[in-house]
Amino acid sequence: MLLPGHIHRPRSSGIHRWPAEWKFAGALVILLGTVVQSELTPLWFGPVWGLLMWVWWRSRLPVGFVMSRLLWLSPFVLAVALAGAWRPVGGPAWWVLACKAFTSLLTVVLLANTTPFSEMLRVFRRLRVPGLLLSTLALMHRYVFVLLEETERMRRARAGRTFRPGRSRLWQIQASVVGHLLIRALARASRIYQAMLARGWS
Amino acid sequence: MIPVIEVQDLRYRYHDGTEALRGVSFRVESGECVGLLGPNGSGKSTLLLHLNGILPEHGSADGLVRILGRTLEPENLPWVRQQVGLLFQDPDDQLFCATVAEDVAFGPRQLGLPEAEVQARLERALAAVGLSGLEDRATHHLSHGEKRRACLAGLLACEPAILVLDEPTSGLDPRGRRELKALLRRLPGTKLIATHDLELAVELCPRCLVLDQGRLVADGPTVDLLNDEALMLAHGLERPHILQHLHPHPNHV
Repeated sequence: MLLPGHIHRPRSSGIHRWPAEWKFAGALVILLGTVVQSELTPLWFGPVWGLLMWVWWRSRLPVGFVMSRLLWLSPFVLAVALAGAWRPVGGPAWWVLACKAFTSLLTVVLLANTTPFSEMLRVFRRLRVPGLLLSTLALMHRYVFVLLEETERMRRARAGRTFRPGRSRLWQIQASVVGHLLIRALARASRIYQAMLARGWS
Repeated sequence: MIPVIEVQDLRYRYHDGTEALRGVSFRVESGECVGLLGPNGSGKSTLLLHLNGILPEHGSADGLVRILGRTLEPENLPWVRQQVGLLFQDPDDQLFCATVAEDVAFGPRQLGLPEAEVQARLERALAAVGLSGLEDRATHHLSHGEKRRACLAGLLACEPAILVLDEPTSGLDPRGRRELKALLRRLPGTKLIATHDLELAVELCPRCLVLDQGRLVADGPTVDLLNDEALMLAHGLERPHILQHLHPHPNHV
């Protein structure tokens, strides 16, 4: 299984080498600017999409990879669009909301895949984000891969002994896998805390 | 002479009622390399966690643990944790930072050392385990063997007097095991190694302790203990092949 983050090769393009501060500030401006637009203003979205496409091209991120990321995140765009479509009157149209959400997601995907996470944490530290939040983010980023690998191992083990898959049984098994994963994650969290204590964490 | 590790009548019961240690007592002298053997669930890991002052916080413990002559108490836990470097069984539990450099520097930074000293220790520790040049590598991209060595570097960077290692060779391929054994042999200081790798015990540890069902059932020279087939079989162990090819003079092991 291709795990998230495996595509990320630090410093493999000019965009990767840009200081994380610039990229973060640029992304923040795009996100805030996009959020406050009530229409698809060409004066805003034209240059922004142009810039995002240029960054995508220069960063050499594969089209399939970025599209798959957007597809993973598309439920959020759909949810935003649906919420917009069902709103009685007033406010931006659903397709404006969808475009805004898509622009924001593309910005975040490009930022996350051209900036090592440790660099992002360094920027957050400079911005005086609370230490506890930074530690939580760092641990989350470190262990999301371990949990994904564990999920994949459990999926393989389950597939190896699933002889006659049935829809109702499948849901039962999925629920059991999620439950087991939670228990394993809690046990691991306890061992990680012990390891942190062992090296002087206070 | 003050023993480096002194454990007296140590008992520990987990909150679910499992009695993990039932009156364990032993001493380890300065510079010794001692093996800790026993079947799965015998209490080896529980015992090692006590030496770092981790477990008594979460269960009912009784008995005495002294490190370098000081009784383990909540007030001196930071000092104890500086003196005892504990290697965990699963390297993914121990490597909790994003990059190798951050992880190895974690301990020295917790000690409040100046950044120049942290960097010097980082370089020395990585050189000692042969990982120089991998400072910026993401910890989740390391191989199992590299993870083990990065964990050891994290301990060495704190410059502990005692190394307590829980199954250091588990999950390693033969080359990884050989390299890790060579590395452990080179490391100075007192070592207590819990292991199922009986060849490692023969090669590195002149003395061994055997733990079973939370009790210390044997303490003596490794070759003598491992040659006692009845003892080995009674406690879920076996006489390793290496003993059949052993040089008659123990100093040449």
